[in-house]
Amino acid sequence: MYVDGANLNALVAVAQPGKFGADVSHLNLHKTFCIPHGGGGPGVGPVAVRSHLAPFLPGHPLAHHDDSTVGAVSAAPFGSAGILAIPWVYISMMGPDGLLAATGDAILSANYVARRLRDVYPTLYSGPSGTVAHECILDIRGITKDTGVSVDDIAKRLMDFCFHAPTMSFPVTGTLMVEPTESESLAEVNRFIEAMLQIGVEIDSVRQGKVDIEDSPLRHAPHTVEDVVSSNWARPYSRETALFPTPLLRTRSFYPAVSRIDAVFGDRNLVCNCAPIEEYAMSLESITLS
Amino acid sequence: MPHVFDREQFLDRHLGLSSDDRAEMLRVIERDSIDDLLSATIPEQIRLRASLALGSAVPEAEVLSMLRDKFNNDVVRRNYIGQGYYGTITPPVIKRNVLENPAWYTAYTPYQPEISQGRLEAILNFQTMIAELTGLALANASLLDEATAVAEAVTMARRVSKNPSNIVLVEKDIHPQTLNVLRTRTEPVGIEIILGGLDDFTDVDAFALVVSWPASSGALASPQSVAASVAHHRSRGVITIASTDLLACAQIIPPGQLGFDVAVGSAQRFGVPMGFGGPHAAFMAVATEHARSLPGRLVGVSTDTAGRPALRLSLQTREQHIRREKATSNICTAQVLLANIAGFYGAWHGPTGLQAIARRVHALASAFASLAASKNLSLVSTDFFDTVALQTPDAQGLVSQARQHGCNIRQIDERTVSASFDETMTAQDVVTLLLAIGVNATLQDVNNSARADQNASLVRTDQFMSQSVFGRYHTEHEMLRYVRRLSDKDLALDRTMIPLGSCTMKLNSTTEMEPITWSLLADLHPYVPADESVGYRSLITDLETMLCAITGYDAVSLQPNAGSQGEFAGLLAIRAYHRSRGDINRTICLIPSSAHGTNAASAVMAGMGVVVIACDESGNVDVQDLREKADAAGERLAALMVTYPSTHGVFETAISEICEIIHQRGGQVYVDGANLNALVAVAQPGKFGADVSHLNLHKTFCIPHGGGGPGVGPVAVRSHLAPFLPGHPLAHHDDSTVGAVSAAPFGSAGILAIPWVYISMMGPDGLLAATGDAILSANYVARRLVFLKLPSVRSVRLFINAVVRCM
Ligand SMILES: Cc1ncc(COP(=O)(O)O)c(C=O)c1O
Repeated sequence: MYVDGANLNALVAVAQPGKFGADVSHLNLHKTFCIPHGGGGPGVGPVAVRSHLAPFLPGHPLAHHDDSTVGAVSAAPFGSAGILAIPWVYISMMGPDGLLAATGDAILSANYVARRLRDVYPTLYSGPSGTVAHECILDIRGITKDTGVSVDDIAKRLMDFCFHAPTMSFPVTGTLMVEPTESESLAEVNRFIEAMLQIGVEIDSVRQGKVDIEDSPLRHAPHTVEDVVSSNWARPYSRETALFPTPLLRTRSFYPAVSRIDAVFGDRNLVCNCAPIEEYAMSLESITLS
Repeated sequence: MPHVFDREQFLDRHLGLSSDDRAEMLRVIERDSIDDLLSATIPEQIRLRASLALGSAVPEAEVLSMLRDKFNNDVVRRNYIGQGYYGTITPPVIKRNVLENPAWYTAYTPYQPEISQGRLEAILNFQTMIAELTGLALANASLLDEATAVAEAVTMARRVSKNPSNIVLVEKDIHPQTLNVLRTRTEPVGIEIILGGLDDFTDVDAFALVVSWPASSGALASPQSVAASVAHHRSRGVITIASTDLLACAQIIPPGQLGFDVAVGSAQRFGVPMGFGGPHAAFMAVATEHARSLPGRLVGVSTDTAGRPALRLSLQTREQHIRREKATSNICTAQVLLANIAGFYGAWHGPTGLQAIARRVHALASAFASLAASKNLSLVSTDFFDTVALQTPDAQGLVSQARQHGCNIRQIDERTVSASFDETMTAQDVVTLLLAIGVNATLQDVNNSARADQNASLVRTDQFMSQSVFGRYHTEHEMLRYVRRLSDKDLALDRTMIPLGSCTMKLNSTTEMEPITWSLLADLHPYVPADESVGYRSLITDLETMLCAITGYDAVSLQPNAGSQGEFAGLLAIRAYHRSRGDINRTICLIPSSAHGTNAASAVMAGMGVVVIACDESGNVDVQDLREKADAAGERLAALMVTYPSTHGVFETAISEICEIIHQRGGQVYVDGANLNALVAVAQPGKFGADVSHLNLHKTFCIPHGGGGPGVGPVAVRSHLAPFLPGHPLAHHDDSTVGAVSAAPFGSAGILAIPWVYISMMGPDGLLAATGDAILSANYVARRLVFLKLPSVRSVRLFINAVVRCM
C-alpha cells in the first residue's frame, strides 16, 4: 500500500502512515518541512518504508555501504544534500509539541477559510463532522454554470488584490484549492477571505445581470497600470474598481506587469529563446525605469 | 597582456562604462582620451603623476579569504564587559532583509520624502520606540554613539537652559568613554565639568546635570532620591539629562518618569551587532518643550497635496547647511540603517517580548550576584539591571584570572570589577563565569538563585509601545512582508542611479558588504584584550596605510563616525597644535561662503570663530578677499577650511596659492576631503599644501549610505599634526594629548572591511580608472544638458571641470 505523503502537513504529530497501514510513502520536504519552493525547485522527496521494504530502498554505486538490490534514482547518494539542513533546523527548532501545534493551526486555518467562504463558495469535500484537513476545495462549478465566471476569472482577479491564486482545477476541474498553512496571521487570512467575498459581490453583479461577464472586472483581470491609465478607458467599471477593489489597496506596491495572457497563441507560435534585442527595445527601456 | 590564469578583475564589475561607451562619451565632450580630460580638468601643479603606492588589485574571488585569514589567530573569549556594548541577536529576518538588503542599505538620506516613505516609516518607528521606552515625548532619528549623544545633549542644554552658568554637573558613575568624549567636546567651548555624587551637587549653580540610569557600574540608586534631585535641579533652571539603557527601560522606571528633560543612550543592544565598536544608533529623547532644539534629524508626519498622510524630515531649518555658524550641532550623516534595525527589533519583539528579554537578562545577573557575593567579593549595589559590580581586594588579579579561564570582565578601578549579561547568554554562561572567578556553582544553583523581578520601587508599571506597529509583526511572515512593503515604497540604488552631487552614490558591491555580517567581525566587543582583536588591528593598520598612500598624508585616525566628526577632530588637531606652540590666540577659522554647512558648525564646536570668505560666481574662493581677511586675522588666524574640489564641482586652480597665503600667515589648511572621488590617484591633498583633511568613507570608499548613515569620517594629517589625532581612554596605547571624539577607539570598526575590500580589489590602476570615469561621466552629463539648452543650466563654465556633486 503506497500512501502519497507529499502533503504531510495535516498529519505531522497527529497520524502516522507507517502505523496506519501503509507500507511506503514519499514526503515532500519542500512542502511540510520548509525547504522553499524556489520558483519551481529544488525539492527533496524522501521515500519512507516499513522494514520489509527497507532492503529495496535506492542504492548508490558510490555510497559507503551499498547492499541495496535496487539501483540509484539520483546521481548523488544523498540527493540534494545541500539543503537538508533546512528541515533539520526546522524540526529541531519546533520539537514534538511545536510540530503538533503547527498541524493544529494548519487545520484550523483551512477550516476557518472554508467556513467563512461557504455561503459564496461551497466546499467540495469535507469529513463526516463537516471539517476539512489542511486545505479546502472551493467548488466554483455552480458559479460558472450560472454566470460564466470561471475559475480563471477568480484566480486572475485575486491578483488585483495582490494575492497569488489558489491551486486551480486540481484535483477537480472547476475548483480552487486553498491551503493557508499554519504560518499566516489571522489578519492575512482575513484579507484573503475579504478579497474572495468582494469577488463574490462582483460575481453577484454578473448573476443579477447588472454587468455582462465580458465587460466585468473579473474577465479583464488582472489589470496593469498601463491599461488603467490609458486615455481610452471605456469599460463600464471604474478605474478605481480595476486597481483598488478595496480601499486598503490604494497603497499597494505590487501591480501585475501584463494583463491576461493568451496561452493558445503562445502554443501555436512557439518561441522559447530570448528574442533579438531590437524586438525588446520598448520593454528594455521600461526595465531601467524600475 | 592578460595571462590565461588571470582571474576576473573586480574593476570590470565596478565601472559602469565599457570601452566603447568611454569612446563615445569622450567624443561628445571633445576630448581625445581620459588622460587628456584629466589634464584639462586638474591643475597641473597638483597633478599626481606617479602611481599610488598600493598593492596591485586582488581578484574579487580571492579578497575575502585574504580578509578572513587576518582573523584566524584571534583568541576567543566569552564577553561580560558591558560598558555600553552588549551581545545581541539580530533577528535573522531583519538581518537578511534589512541589514543585508541593498533596498535598505543603498538608500540615501530621505531628503526626497515622496520616494522615501518606507524608510521614513521605519525611522518613525524607531523614534516612537525610543520615546516610549525612555518615557519622554519625542526622539530624534538617531545620533552617532552614546558618548557623542551625551555631548550633544549637554550642548543642547547650554542653548536652552535659562541658567547662565557654564557648569555641567556629571554624576561620577558614568562610562569612562562617555566622560572622555564629553571633555573633548566641552573644553573648547568653555563648558566646565564638575564630577561628583548627586549629594555633592545640591548647591552648585549649573546649566545641566548628567546622570547615568542605570549607572556605569550597573548600580540603580533609589528612584525617589534621583527624582527628588532631578526636581531640585530643574527648579534652578538646570536641564537634566539621563544616559540610559533601552533594555533596562523595559523593566525599570524610565528617565522620563523620574522627571529628566532628556534621555540619551545607545540602541546597539536592540539587534545591532557590536562590530568592535560600531556603527550603532544612539538616540536622544526630550520632553515636549525641547522638541525644536533637538540636534540631528527628526521624522514627522505631514500630508501630500491630496491630503494623504505622508512622512518627511521635520524642522529642516535647524540643519547646519542652513544655519551654518549658528547651527546647534554639526551632525549630518547619522546612523539611520542601524536605527531602522533597532526599530524593527522593537516591532519584532513588541513590549511583551522586550520585557521578557529584560527579565531573562536580569535573572542571569541576579543569579550571578547572589552566587558570586562572598567574604572576598562584595556587591557594590543590591539593585542593578544587567550589570553586577563586585568589590575585591585585587581587581586586576581577578580580571586576569577570569581571562585565563576564557571570560572577559570589566575592571572599574583597583578594587572593583563588573560583569554584564545580555540576551545571548544562558544559565550556563553564569556558571562559566562563576567558575572563572573561583566560585563553584551548578546550573541548579543558578536556577535557584535567579530573580527575574526588580524590587517594587524600581519596577516600571505603565504600558508602553502600545502603538499597533509594535503588536503586528511578531511572526516571520508578517515581518518579512512589512519590511518588503516598506522598501517597495522607496527608491535606492537597487532600482535606479541616484545622481546626487556631493554624495557619491557609487556601487556598494556585495563582496565589499559580505564580511560585515560575519560573526568574526560583527560579534566583537570594542574593549576586548589585544589578543582577541589581532584581525581587526591588522585590518585597521592596513586601511590607515592605504588612506595615507591615497591622500599623501602621514597619519590617519579612523575614530570619527562621520564626516562631521572628522572635521571636528581635524580642527581640534589644529587647535592643539597651535596651543602646543603657545599660540593660544589662534582661533579664527576662515571658511568660504560656498562651504558645506558642517564646516562652520564644526569650527564653532572646536572653539573657533568663523570668518566667511567671499566666492566668485563659479564658487571659487575670492583670493583677494582671502588675503585681506587672513591679514585682518593676523596672529589670530588658526585655519582655513576649504573644500576641494570646490562644492561647486570645480578644481580651483588657485589652490596652491591659497594654501601658501594661509601658511605664510601661520595658519593651517584644512581641506574638506569628503568628496575625494575626483582626487583619488590624480592629486593628493597631503602633498599639494593641505595640513589636514577628513574623508568620507561612506562616499568615495563604498560604505553605503544606509538611508542616512552609518558613515566613517577618518581624519588624515601631515606629520606635525599626528600627535594631535584623537586619543581614547581604552586604546591600548594612548599618547595623544587630544581626547576621544567617539565612544569606541576605532569608531565604526565594524564597517571598515568595506573600504579595505574596495581598495584591495581596485588596486592603484583601478582607483585611477574610477576617478577618470567619474570625471568623464560628470562632464558628459554637463555637456549633453548644455547642448539641450535646459533653462536650469545657467552657465557653461560652471560645468567645464565638473565632478559629480551637489549640496
Ligand atoms: C563637502 C562635505 N563636507 C562634509 C560633509 C559631512 O559629512 P557627514 O554627512 O558624514 O557628516 C559632506 C557630506 O554630506 C560634504 O559633502
